[in-house]
Amino acid sequence: MKKISLVQIKENRKGKVIEILGGTNLQERLMNMGVYKGKEVTKLSHIGLRGPVVIKSGRSIFALGHGVAAKVILEQE
Amino acid sequence: MIKKIYLIGNPNVGKSVVFSRLTGVHVISSNYPGTTVEFIKGYLSLGDKKIEVVDLPGTYSLGPTSSAEEVAVSLLKEYPRNEIAVINILDSTNLERNLLLTLQLIEEGFPTIACLNMCDDAVHRGVHVDIKKLEEILQIPVISTCAVTGVGIKLLIDRIREAVPVSRDKLSHEELWKEIGHIIEQVQHLEHRHHRLREVLEDASVRPLTGLVMASGIIYVSFKIVRFIGEFIISRITDPFFYGTFQNLLEKLTFHWQEKSFLFHLLIGDLVNGNIDFKQSLGVLTTAPYIEFGMVLPYVISFYLVLSLLEDIGYLPRLAILLDNLLHRLGLHGYAIIPVLLGFGCNVPGILSTRVLESKRERFIASTIISIGVPCVPLQAMIIGLLGAFGGFYVGGVYLVLFFIILVLGLILNRVLPGYSPEFLLEIPPYRFPPLAILGRKLYFRVKGFLIEAVPIVLIGVLVVNTLLYFKLFDIVTGIFAPVIHGLFGLPKEAIVALAIGFLRKDVAVGMLAPLGLSAKQLFIAATLLAISFPCIATFIVLWKELGVKDLIKSTLIMITVSIIVGVMLNFVILR
Repeated sequence: MKKISLVQIKENRKGKVIEILGGTNLQERLMNMGVYKGKEVTKLSHIGLRGPVVIKSGRSIFALGHGVAAKVILEQE
Repeated sequence: MIKKIYLIGNPNVGKSVVFSRLTGVHVISSNYPGTTVEFIKGYLSLGDKKIEVVDLPGTYSLGPTSSAEEVAVSLLKEYPRNEIAVINILDSTNLERNLLLTLQLIEEGFPTIACLNMCDDAVHRGVHVDIKKLEEILQIPVISTCAVTGVGIKLLIDRIREAVPVSRDKLSHEELWKEIGHIIEQVQHLEHRHHRLREVLEDASVRPLTGLVMASGIIYVSFKIVRFIGEFIISRITDPFFYGTFQNLLEKLTFHWQEKSFLFHLLIGDLVNGNIDFKQSLGVLTTAPYIEFGMVLPYVISFYLVLSLLEDIGYLPRLAILLDNLLHRLGLHGYAIIPVLLGFGCNVPGILSTRVLESKRERFIASTIISIGVPCVPLQAMIIGLLGAFGGFYVGGVYLVLFFIILVLGLILNRVLPGYSPEFLLEIPPYRFPPLAILGRKLYFRVKGFLIEAVPIVLIGVLVVNTLLYFKLFDIVTGIFAPVIHGLFGLPKEAIVALAIGFLRKDVAVGMLAPLGLSAKQLFIAATLLAISFPCIATFIVLWKELGVKDLIKSTLIMITVSIIVGVMLNFVILR
């Protein structure tokens, strides 16, 4: 098991969300969209340097700005 | 007794389409989150009563985290619970994410009816939902609909009265998601199927390399199609009409009129070599209708056709991802591409849709950039029509200058304005292929909107200008501004009238430049200045409403400064 942020995890890899750093507003926004602690998400792509990260969570696809992605910590097996 | 019906649901589940079906009121719907930034009202006949229906902006939950969501939630609480019915619209293809809001609505005691929309898409994607079972678990009516084709809408209307409050224990967020997991296990059955072309394309468009290739291809093809359709309509339909039937009619009508009379001047304008010239005569019956119907309308149709298609397929949010990096440097984030693209049609809806951006700072930057650097379709059509005669090189040049202005202005504003550019967090919709009828309706309403807005102003504008010109009332103004306009921008003093008309409508303004016999350089400068300087009156009013007086003044000052700098640079440095 290793802890890794959404920015660092490689494309096409899965991980379980274990922590969302940052304010409650961000946590709540992500939680409302279905990205919460314990949820398994797949990183689809990462656009360029410091660009947004695209993930798949359930049947939804989300794009997260680089700064947001850096705050989502995953547990990767 | 139901007095009000609310439509609520996650962003991009087709609320606006359901709303149109229920009320007959047409609203623009698109395949990306945030098309509805305001709540919209209409009426539904239920039995012998007319009940108000309100379409709320999309929201993921009842705990509002953005301004659009706040609007939705506060409206829900305006009336007592027993006087309203809430239609919760869900995306059948993505039940899991949608159920959070449903459970919250039930918990809060709202009389709710669930409408599982996009049922046809769910079948295509191999998602099967057991409606009966879901109804049993939630204890509220659940109806499966497909709003774009109208399936299930009648049943939905019939069952609205069944919406009653149900008691349900309040759960924490985490417990809610767990509960949703259980529900999904019981009601949803996923058919395993191989990736289809649609899924492959969806995937490719969000990856850096394939995404950029697709984006360049799509943008290039879109431009080509807009030009092709626009030119096709002009050369095959409008020009033959104007230069054939219409010209004959006008010549017969005015056969006995005196060429120098006031009426002739007003309605027909000046003859060029003894003939009516639709581009240069400047009469209420000649150039005014020709500009609107013969030069601008063809491009309005072709532009909105292509834009509506891109919107409904769901491509635009993918473009937003790719452009996020660049737009971040301008103090915006990727999603700002949507207001900018709408602005290319008409600045007014462009600026209105900056509401999808979160902060005031972003909205100021985006609105200012749109009103300065983004030319609307009517203006572009006229630039292509007039400047294009000197060669495509000049038209491309105008776009290049405007693009450069947007970049520099954005970089500076991002530096100077206090604040930061927020990160974006956006759901990317799947590709959908709208029925042609829906696309056609949307195009029809947009074109109709353009005609209603533009035609009266153009006719009255040309009427007033011609009257003023006939009595030589412009001479005083042109006299005062002549040194500025000639000295700084190298334009003849008559061009001041055109630049002033730009405040009314940009297309007419460019049209007024036609009879002046400008050189390519002068026309280039004048057209560019028209694009960046004072936005037309409609845009100005929207800017005022959206930004407030203080920011409007700020934005206007920026615009004047940019106009002068760019005009002088073009005149003395770049086009020397």
